[in-house]
Amino acid sequence: MRQPSVIARRVAAASVSLVVAAGAAACGPEDSDAKGSGGDSAPHKGGTLTVLNSEPQTDFDPARLYTSGGGNVPSLVFRTLTTRNRENGAAGAEVVPDLATDTGRANKDATVWTYTLKKGLTYEDGTPITSADVKYGIERSFAPELSGGAPYLRDWLVGAADYQGPYKDKKGLSAIETPDARTIVFHLNKPEGEFPYLATQTQFTPVPKSKDTGTKYESHPISSGPYKVVKNENDGEHVVLERNTHWSPATDAERKAYPDTIDVRSGLDSSVINQRLSASQGADAAAVTTDTNLGPAELAKVTGDKELAARVGTGRFGYTNYIAFNPTVKPFDNPKVRQAISYAIDRSSVVNAAGGSALAEPATTFLPNQKSFGYTPYDPFPAGKSGNPAKAEELLKQAGFKNGLTITLTHSNDKNFETSPEIATALQDALKKAGITVKLQGLEDNDYRDKIHSVKTEPGFFLAHWGADWPSGGPFLAPIFDGRQIVKDGANFNTGLLNDKSVNGEIDAINKLTDLDAAAKRWGALDQKIGEKALVVPLFHPVYKRLVGSDVKNVVISDWTGVLDISQVSVK
Amino acid sequence: MSEALVAVETAGTDTSVPAVSGARQFWRRLRAQRAALVAAVVVALLVLVALAAPLLTALEGQDPTTYHPSLIDSARGGVPIGSLGGIGADHWLGVEPQTGRDMFARLVYGARVSLGVSLGATLAQVVIGVAMGVAAGLGNRWVDLVLSRITDIFISMPLMIMSLALLAIVPSGFPRPVLVALIISLVSGWSTTAKMVRAQTLALKNLDYVSASRLSGWSTWRTAVRELLPGLAAPVITYAALLVPANISAEAALSFLGVGVKPPTPSWGQMLTSADVWYQAAPQYLLLPALALFLTVFAMTVLGDGVRVALDPRAASRLRIGTGRKREARAGTAVPKPGPAATEATQDATQDVVPDATQDATQDLVPDAVPDTASDAVPGAASKKEERA
Repeated sequence: MRQPSVIARRVAAASVSLVVAAGAAACGPEDSDAKGSGGDSAPHKGGTLTVLNSEPQTDFDPARLYTSGGGNVPSLVFRTLTTRNRENGAAGAEVVPDLATDTGRANKDATVWTYTLKKGLTYEDGTPITSADVKYGIERSFAPELSGGAPYLRDWLVGAADYQGPYKDKKGLSAIETPDARTIVFHLNKPEGEFPYLATQTQFTPVPKSKDTGTKYESHPISSGPYKVVKNENDGEHVVLERNTHWSPATDAERKAYPDTIDVRSGLDSSVINQRLSASQGADAAAVTTDTNLGPAELAKVTGDKELAARVGTGRFGYTNYIAFNPTVKPFDNPKVRQAISYAIDRSSVVNAAGGSALAEPATTFLPNQKSFGYTPYDPFPAGKSGNPAKAEELLKQAGFKNGLTITLTHSNDKNFETSPEIATALQDALKKAGITVKLQGLEDNDYRDKIHSVKTEPGFFLAHWGADWPSGGPFLAPIFDGRQIVKDGANFNTGLLNDKSVNGEIDAINKLTDLDAAAKRWGALDQKIGEKALVVPLFHPVYKRLVGSDVKNVVISDWTGVLDISQVSVK
Repeated sequence: MSEALVAVETAGTDTSVPAVSGARQFWRRLRAQRAALVAAVVVALLVLVALAAPLLTALEGQDPTTYHPSLIDSARGGVPIGSLGGIGADHWLGVEPQTGRDMFARLVYGARVSLGVSLGATLAQVVIGVAMGVAAGLGNRWVDLVLSRITDIFISMPLMIMSLALLAIVPSGFPRPVLVALIISLVSGWSTTAKMVRAQTLALKNLDYVSASRLSGWSTWRTAVRELLPGLAAPVITYAALLVPANISAEAALSFLGVGVKPPTPSWGQMLTSADVWYQAAPQYLLLPALALFLTVFAMTVLGDGVRVALDPRAASRLRIGTGRKREARAGTAVPKPGPAATEATQDATQDVVPDATQDATQDLVPDAVPDTASDAVPGAASKKEERA
């Protein structure tokens, strides 16, 4: 069972400016109208929106994209059964119907999900979209040559574990039924109340079998959304989208599609992107970015300039940076030692190292501080703003370390504001006050990730981070704390090696719920219960600040993706 | 290998100057170069600052690792509060963005790393280089062949790539500054030193006093230590003086790439790498370590070149010591000891085509009138120089 979050992994590799949610996974969002301009009349229709990105739109095939909520640029071309609610803030973390008439109807134990397609849906060539096309689109994502998507479908669909895709296995997946052209039924091998969230991913995009060109499909995927691909150079480095005249706004409540053309240019350095957006000259005035945040130094410059400050959009993507313990390594097998470290943490200095209070919020919970995750505030080992070294020393004494303690903190040498030497040094300074000497072990980034995700080489005390594939407690807690997801050979994300029957049982019970609000509350409660075990020390939740060009209007930033949603933007 | 280093490879080849009286002459010649003198003072100050780092920071009342969250504006990315990066009576050079650590303390402690690592690396380079060079020069054909090929292999290694690879695989428990110094010295510097020493050894080997030592049955070791090393001192010192700034740059580069010394130990290269994004919001954060690094490397290079000139007998004529005094000095101290003509000629030729960055550039372009005699014995050189001046 694998459930790695591609976003988590990619962010780890991101560079100075925290290029988040790279490429396809670039998420989509809802809005925070940072422009503060008020009194906007109706958004202007037409014009060209330029997207300046660091990560290219590689493998622009719905089978191959690994997205959260269908992605930002991909979502302009690929409609899915369900999608993200394109609203600002918490409302934007909800799942809403897209091609389907609702977010899905489940049987009693959430193992059978039924969707009905809206009427009048067509592709860019005017041919109708059928439920068989949706089924075919999912089946192709099982073909080895079209790999890249999330592993959930293979894990969840009945009998899909060894399916090799429609090219080799013409019979198709029996777990997906299409009783008529507008109905599609999914049979799952276990209860999954969050199936509607999964149905936002691009694998749920219809692909007409007659137009499928296999691995070449990515150069011109058949559009079901408001835009179609007219140019795709260098595997997604330069993508030009133009209006799809067969897209009917009457069937699509979510995408506004104001500009006529979307010009996506990638492979740019993050500092270049921010420089161009702040200068806003020529075509850059109508430019946005979907993957490049402002770094602390850039923020310092931007906040000193009123005009620039008005063009900054703020978003939150459900994400937690934390310290992980491996309780099989001494002295971290002793809960008192883990608690002592929790008390000694100076979150304000960690937040500063991560970019300051505008770019990071102190975290005491593992779940992100957002409603859709079931955020329930708790703080089992209150360290206050800057740590409680006295309490930490007391606990260390009880644990038998009267003369202090020397431990090694493993981190990455990459400058990524997450697991970087800067964060590690800030922690080192804070723990020193509690008599804990921290030695730093900085590893090359790939080496670091291999080590912390292997049960055999996992260090005792290291920096880690986690982001979920959709904004809910399930994909956030289960991969990290579900004992059945400990992977002995391969990438393991349950770094605390927790295998607690009551935790596993509660995860199963919540997965049966189809009432997502009720599920969220129970995820929150489970988070608190796990938090008291001190297997992790939550440090901070990042905040995304991004510039837009001076002619960009209608900035919508949701809690789902934390970045502006291209489908809502208009340009002057 | 910088051009300057290549240039010194052949410098000071007339090494017959006796060590004792040579020291006095060396100081006189060094003092005669104003730039070198200023550089020497700067270097002495830097060394003093590095040695006295704990004292200086105690005087300021700060240390290089304490965080001062109250001195930075967290909401603005952690930019220092106050003008010029928070410069004031408490923090003489302001504080670091995002942490509030004292810049002055980090700079002076950073000097320890820069100077310590580079001097340590230079020492190791000289020791290895001299040992290899002398052994190759005095050994038989096979020893020479093997050692020379090993040296060639190291000369052709790309420093940065090798260092990155080595620093990545060494266990993190190893003391980092020592490791950085070792790797810099192993991967670069010693090999060119060895080549130069070998050439020099071959030249000295045939001189009468060395031959006499060998013929009278002294061991190779004794010959090397008693007869050769004094003769090698001048070119090796010259070489070492120019290796120091190259090593400082190498350490800074490795730290800049994140594989140098480990945080929280301050190092200039590391400060530069954290500071590069801050050049607009907090320019002093970038400028201070950059300036310190520039000043150090520049002063070391000028001083190194001064040493080269002071130890180069042919350069005596180019120094502004005054014609009369210079002639006296030369009469008193320069013992003419003609080296083997062939060696001298090739070395002169090399020197003449190598452009020299410093004030003697013009002189070097002038071919020596009589290549196979010690050139400072040629009065023409001096008069030419005066005409140009």
